[in-house]
Amino acid sequence: MNRKKTHFIGRKIYLGLILFLLYAPIGTLIILSFNASKSRAKWGGFTGKWYISLFQDNAIMNALYTTLIIAFVSAIAATVIGTAASIGIHSMKSRARTICMGITNIPMLNADIVTGISLMLLFIACRFTLGFSTILLAHITFNIPYVILSVMPKLRQTNKRTYEAALDLGASPVYAFFKVVFPDILPGVVSGFLMAFTMSLDDFIITHFTKGPGVDTLSTKIYSEVRKGIRPEMYALSTLLFATVILLMILINTSPKEPKSRTKDPSAKQRRLPVRQVIPVALILLIVGGGIFYRVQGTSASNEQVVVYNWGEYLDPEAIELFEKETGIDVVYEEYETNEIMYPKILSHAIAYDVVCPSDYMIQRMIENNLLAEINWDNVPNIKNIDPTYMDQSKSFDPENKYSVPYCFGTVGILYNKTMVDEPIDSWDVLWDEAYKDNILMQDSVRDAFAVALKRRGYSLNSTEVGELTRATNDLIEQKPLVQAYVIDQVRDKMIGNEAAIGVIYSGEAIYTQRENHNLEYVIPKEGSNVWIDSWVIPKNAENKENAEAFINFLCRPDIALMNFEFITYSTPNLEGRKLIEDEEIRNSRIAFPTGEDLKNCETFRFLGDDVDSYYNELWNKVKSS
Amino acid sequence: MDRILIDLIDITKSYDDQVILDNLNLSIRENEFLTLLGPSGCGKTTTLRIMGGFETPDSGQVIFDGEDITSLPPNKRNLNTVFQKYALFSHMTIAENIAFGLKIAKKTDTYIRDKIHYALKLVNLEGFGSRYPDSLSGGQQQRVAIARAIVNEPKVLLLDEPLGALDLKLRQDMQYELIRLKNELGITFIYVTHDQEEALTMSDTIIVMNQGYIQQMGTPEDIYNEPQNAFVADFIGESNILDGIMLEDKLVEILGVKFPCVDVGFGKNKPVDVVIRPEDIDLVDPSQGTMQGIVTHLIFKGVHYEMEVEANGFCWLVHSTDMSPVGQRVGLHVDPFDIQIMNKPESEDEEAVSIDE
Repeated sequence: MNRKKTHFIGRKIYLGLILFLLYAPIGTLIILSFNASKSRAKWGGFTGKWYISLFQDNAIMNALYTTLIIAFVSAIAATVIGTAASIGIHSMKSRARTICMGITNIPMLNADIVTGISLMLLFIACRFTLGFSTILLAHITFNIPYVILSVMPKLRQTNKRTYEAALDLGASPVYAFFKVVFPDILPGVVSGFLMAFTMSLDDFIITHFTKGPGVDTLSTKIYSEVRKGIRPEMYALSTLLFATVILLMILINTSPKEPKSRTKDPSAKQRRLPVRQVIPVALILLIVGGGIFYRVQGTSASNEQVVVYNWGEYLDPEAIELFEKETGIDVVYEEYETNEIMYPKILSHAIAYDVVCPSDYMIQRMIENNLLAEINWDNVPNIKNIDPTYMDQSKSFDPENKYSVPYCFGTVGILYNKTMVDEPIDSWDVLWDEAYKDNILMQDSVRDAFAVALKRRGYSLNSTEVGELTRATNDLIEQKPLVQAYVIDQVRDKMIGNEAAIGVIYSGEAIYTQRENHNLEYVIPKEGSNVWIDSWVIPKNAENKENAEAFINFLCRPDIALMNFEFITYSTPNLEGRKLIEDEEIRNSRIAFPTGEDLKNCETFRFLGDDVDSYYNELWNKVKSS
Repeated sequence: MDRILIDLIDITKSYDDQVILDNLNLSIRENEFLTLLGPSGCGKTTTLRIMGGFETPDSGQVIFDGEDITSLPPNKRNLNTVFQKYALFSHMTIAENIAFGLKIAKKTDTYIRDKIHYALKLVNLEGFGSRYPDSLSGGQQQRVAIARAIVNEPKVLLLDEPLGALDLKLRQDMQYELIRLKNELGITFIYVTHDQEEALTMSDTIIVMNQGYIQQMGTPEDIYNEPQNAFVADFIGESNILDGIMLEDKLVEILGVKFPCVDVGFGKNKPVDVVIRPEDIDLVDPSQGTMQGIVTHLIFKGVHYEMEVEANGFCWLVHSTDMSPVGQRVGLHVDPFDIQIMNKPESEDEEAVSIDE
């Protein structure tokens, strides 16, 4: 008796544990969505403000409507196609039917990423422009198997003779289908529709691969938002998404049941009406509402547009609005995280971007691969505002200044804590000084680390000489015992926190750290360093080249350059723009605006080719593992 | 009663190399209650479905009322079917089910209402119009299926084992019901069943089928009393089927014993099949019997006793209202006119047929 009881309790605990593990993450998310504090670690009281600000965010609301419209339309289309397919498969002979069912099941089991990529490749091969319609087609495609899966069993349950009976009574095949067969399989069709709707709502990977610029569903929107850092609105949005999926699952699992025996009683029917019909009606209303909303939003839109592909958080949204207002050209805006993600998209020609903002070495690579269009300087008169120094610097990757307009730049240098070093620092040698053992922070990336070692010896940071690289490698191995840590982003925090005396850092970060800790000083060593430049270019397959040039010209305007400088805080090469900076300290900052003297020995990175790239990596591994 | 309404001419049908019907010829007269009887797989349902238009024969023609309807779809044929499992439309009320065909035929509302009323009355289901099929019993559903078919006033009603799913008592009630209906409506019924009792009870004409061939066609009495081959004899009722030798006219040798019979014209010393119905065997005193044997089994069947008698190496099935206990020695006597003599099957096909069941 007692044993039985403990057995029972043990079972309950086990079940509870499983449920807890399954739902704890989502529970956390839901709790955080009501947390008044932005911090993830602190409970700041209960609030619904994230939900409110969520619904005030235009971009998210747009994504929501796109999601709903795609889910709705693709589910409808998949339901029609899938139901028709089921009927066809059902009437096949058993062998053919088994084969067909197998074939239709495979896409469901297939990894989403494979489906996504193959759809993208197909669209590109068919010269489809990726966008709303390709997402829709992709969703219809992956939804069809789910509809078949839920309609087939219903079809198998139906008595084939009822269809024949209808024919026998004089019905045409079509009439017989809709009057007799369809009501029988309706529960399967409805649950197939709901399943397709849910799947479409849920999908991220396939959408990610088949979407074009400016179109976002909720999931891709959340993804791109999260990349920039998670805003609490995202918790709210995810919570709502989760709730919707739960609701749909409940609907799917309850709708197919037919009351066993009933008599036709109109009043009873009316009483039953709301429960099951309110939700679809609400859904349709929502979508129609969304459509109208879209319309209203779209009325101001003209046909002129420019498709911009830029780094995340690399342009003041207000500048875009201003551009649209002034020129009447619509900006379709899309973001990427790294040059390496951007490059294949341009290479594939899947999307006709008009303006892109790659880094120096990537521009070189794009020029080499004949991917860029020459800029018509007549359309970019504001180029005169750009500091000629940077036009010269650009020549290292764009030798004739034909393809690129510098947008942002920065240097790599040494950040040091004045209270922790004896004298002002001006050389990379300090990173090899025994006196600062365990007080040195190095960048944990191949090219940046080698740039330090190569420059210290007076070599080019784009060196391909084996001798030079071997010496640099040996130097880095020698330096290793002195280094406290190889890091990337933490340089900032560690230096602010006085945890190290010297660190290799990007100039953009240096300005920020200096503001936080006044003891910090930034210097570009006299041997020279890396200067990076991100520039606007126009891909060869741009469809709105003149609009692209207008956009670039707009960004070269001094007031706009200032706006973006204040938004991004990275150095601007725009001389006239810099003059508008009110804060004298910043305007004259040598960190933000190094002089020609500072940059004398600086170089931009170049793409060295795949072979040299892997040689660098090999050497870097040697350093790291020594 | 004379006019031929449906004529099946040289119908052949096969599925996946399996021949279901082979050169079938069949004429059905107006106002007839015709039953297709046979074991499952004999082709009776296929024959019915070809008439209904649900199957197309590989070759051959279907003539209906003087017209070739071989390729006419079911919805264009002036006949209606009652399906094995009723095939009612479960999401419609009984009245809506019955009105289905009438609505398609664009009848007026008053006409439809009257017809529903009439049909429900005809099948004794008055007041059921607003109910749904799944709230009805099997027998009631079957009657709805019949009502739904007959309101369209078809010339022929096809019934595909309509009573198969019902229990015995209900089935018997429905048999009388169907006969009554047929007489009231005065239309042709074509009925498919594997139940020989059902066939004997209801039909004007029975067609016994096996393996795609018509084995025998005739009135219930003909079929029962004069089976033309061993298959029919075996399938219809219970029989003792034995090998015999026709020694001369009116004399047959069975198990080494000579029996007088009434059949003539088989020739001399001709091997034949002999059928003797169990109720035609009289158990008499051993000394008076043509053959002597011992009772080995005894079962009480209600109306009669069923006994097995071992005699001359054959186990005879005997039905009698008089009981003889197991182990008793008895004599077997058969009246000459109760001995049915049949030719041995000659073709291979017929051979195959006779082994069945």
